[in-house]
Amino acid sequence: MKRTLPLAICLVIGVSMVIQFFIPHPVSLRYNSTILTWVIILTAFALILAIGNVFVHHGHKIVKQQPGWFYSAVTIVSMVIVAIIGLFWGIGGQSLFQKIYLNILSPLAATMFALLAYYMASAAYRAFKARSIESFMLLAAAFIVMIGFMPFGQYIHPRLPDFAEWIMQVPNMASKRGILIGIAFGAIATALKIILGIERSWLGGKD
Amino acid sequence: MKWHERLTGIDRRIIYGLLTIFIIAPFFIPLKLRENIMPQTKKLFDFMESIPPHEKAVIISFDYTPSTYPECHPMAVGLLRQCFKRKIPVIGMSFDPQGPGMAVDASDYVLSEINREAASPDDSVRYGIDYVYLGYKAGFEAAILEMGENIASVFPRDHLGTPVESLPLMARTKNYKDIAIALIITAAAYPDWWVLYAQSRYGVKVAAGLTAVMAAEFYPYLQTGQFTGMLSGMKGAAEYEELMLRHNYTQELGKAERGMNSQSMIHILIILFIIIGNIGYFLSRKKK
Amino acid sequence: MMYLVCLSLITIAPVTDVQAADKPNDAGSNIIITWILSPDDAFIEYYSVLRRSAHDTDEQYIGRNKNGICTFEDNTTQDNIAYTYVIAAVMANGEAIRSEPSNPGRSYPQVFHSGRINVLVCILIFSALVLYFVRRARRDKNLFIRKIAGLAAVEDAIGRATEMGKPILYVPGLWDIDSTATIASMNILGEIAKKIARYDTPLIVTNRWSVTYTISKEIVKEAFISQGHPDKFKNDYIRYLTEDQFGFAAAVDGIMIREKPAANFFIGYFWAESLILAETGAMTGAIQIAGTDAVNKLPFFVTACDYTLLGEELYAASAYLSREPLLLGALKAQDYGKVLALVLLAVITVLAFFGLNLSSIMVVR
Repeated sequence: MKRTLPLAICLVIGVSMVIQFFIPHPVSLRYNSTILTWVIILTAFALILAIGNVFVHHGHKIVKQQPGWFYSAVTIVSMVIVAIIGLFWGIGGQSLFQKIYLNILSPLAATMFALLAYYMASAAYRAFKARSIESFMLLAAAFIVMIGFMPFGQYIHPRLPDFAEWIMQVPNMASKRGILIGIAFGAIATALKIILGIERSWLGGKD
Repeated sequence: MKWHERLTGIDRRIIYGLLTIFIIAPFFIPLKLRENIMPQTKKLFDFMESIPPHEKAVIISFDYTPSTYPECHPMAVGLLRQCFKRKIPVIGMSFDPQGPGMAVDASDYVLSEINREAASPDDSVRYGIDYVYLGYKAGFEAAILEMGENIASVFPRDHLGTPVESLPLMARTKNYKDIAIALIITAAAYPDWWVLYAQSRYGVKVAAGLTAVMAAEFYPYLQTGQFTGMLSGMKGAAEYEELMLRHNYTQELGKAERGMNSQSMIHILIILFIIIGNIGYFLSRKKK
Repeated sequence: MMYLVCLSLITIAPVTDVQAADKPNDAGSNIIITWILSPDDAFIEYYSVLRRSAHDTDEQYIGRNKNGICTFEDNTTQDNIAYTYVIAAVMANGEAIRSEPSNPGRSYPQVFHSGRINVLVCILIFSALVLYFVRRARRDKNLFIRKIAGLAAVEDAIGRATEMGKPILYVPGLWDIDSTATIASMNILGEIAKKIARYDTPLIVTNRWSVTYTISKEIVKEAFISQGHPDKFKNDYIRYLTEDQFGFAAAVDGIMIREKPAANFFIGYFWAESLILAETGAMTGAIQIAGTDAVNKLPFFVTACDYTLLGEELYAASAYLSREPLLLGALKAQDYGKVLALVLLAVITVLAFFGLNLSSIMVVR
């Protein structure tokens, strides 16, 4: 029953939503609207699950004094304080919540993303070797696109930006489309397997 | 270690040190390089210029996070500025939990600038009439689909808890039929769902402002016409700022245009490193 | 002024052949009105659309079109009520010439969307392929799948970690369980966990979402039980970190630097943090196997990892590793579906060269 009921719900709802796609009648549209509203509500419940998980996971670490428990305490205290500030003092433009978001979270997140520039440079230096004809062509295309898209590219040759754009619009798009078609089929097959109950990993574990 | 082997084994710290210098230097020695405008940026700008004022609203979906602030935030600011100055109503929303912070920051910045310069109340941007921010909604797929029927059923209240039926802009904007275009500013794959659900089902025009890494994935949509323009990364944001400058929406260079100087220098450095690495590789192979 | 005076001297012809018909493939309340433009369309400012039903005493103004446009959609009708329409051609000086009334048109909802028959046919063909190959896989368990280098290296990676006495790190992507990539990743995690259970190698599974944390815990525990080693499973193997994208990347980087896993698996959907994870892992000297269907992240993984599963190889991985008939059958059906799609695309392209454009059969209305 623990596994049969979710599988049955998945089958019924999955098949009904597929059938709904082909029926433009108002009854079908109302059904679609109702299901979509349920999805929005259920997704919001996942937030509650996430918050609960944070408390359980980090609380356990603090209670057992496991290595790094201090950081777990910082996590929980920060979460509670910012939530209280947002709930009681508002989240508008001039609120303390917004100031914390812009002056603490925003620079921290931007710093992590900025690391990408360094990692890209070291990865490019280490890995971009012209070991074969294909990798040479890859390098040449990369150089043309990098230079063509920069402001100084147009000063090197006025048609260089257009050539770079052509590489993006033609060879790049052709290869992306091929991969996307394959991925689309894979996703359709996986979705079909989930609806029909062939794929059950989302339930956790096996029968 | 022979000198050609050193070329393939440069210490990471040297690479990172040089990168830091090349990033910071343009802020002190500005390069006066003007952007060449890509067709997809021009297409979006021209479409925004063609939208009649005071009529159909524009949806801007703020779905980027602070980590992509340098690329996405100038796009949001540019688009908001253009809409507010041309009196095109804007309906903002977010499907990323961190989006509201960015949306409030962008709109506050542009609103304060425009309302400071406004000569009369009619020139200023009034919340509820010219602009509404609906806040964050979980379950973006369902929300994008449902807005085709009724936006108010997805967002019954705005970001600050005001019922939307009390807002004049929302009272006259029911669903996608009342929307001129949906602009999605994001570093994720949200535009896929907007095209799949909003455009193919309801026919609303869609355009996107994306990070450079994501933009490559969405070129097929440009070619098929499913995207009415696209801004790609900081370069796209800089191009839009350049267009805003040329059309007198703003009088000074934007952040993205200034940031492009650093990006250009880093690109040169990375190309140099790749060339050095390959020279060392070929010389080492030859010696063997 | 002169222009208006001149206009008043002109007699324009009205529009003709006004037709009212139900809009097809909709939920009702829509009538499409078409007409043949007036020969004097250039002198016309706009066309007013007027409507009358059996219940109305007067005509009702519905809307207007610019000159040059000969179609209008009335989306305010009540179903099963007959409406007639008149199109008034209005000049700049305000004069209007009315057309003859249209035929009575009624709107009603459709039960089947005929514009989506192509999708229905594709679904039926694909489902038939899946069912056929699943049945065939049950009879013949040796269905051929080509070698996938990344998956063939899984055994070596686990062996290497066991010999070095170091843990294995598994990152199931940064999307929640509703992503097909994450579901595919969970399948692979199950198979890898079974191998790890046999070798008694420590495992670290880092999760961004609470739901994937719960599911991955169940999957790994189940894998250990199925191999007869339930005592070897430790709760610490599965970790829930944070939902913030770069907070998660920072946490995983910290785990890689501190615990120095010998093998890293990045399987699922990733964003920009993919290069941060892969490059940090490369710095620690671990063998790295990645797999993602995020097309624009593939270059990052190809650059920094030893093996990469490209796009749909991720979906094939669960069938490849488990050799389960159901999964193998679905994989074969997927491949044949792709072949059919490619043949169709090739045929349509060739026909287009000869002037026969059939691309509309691929459009979803």
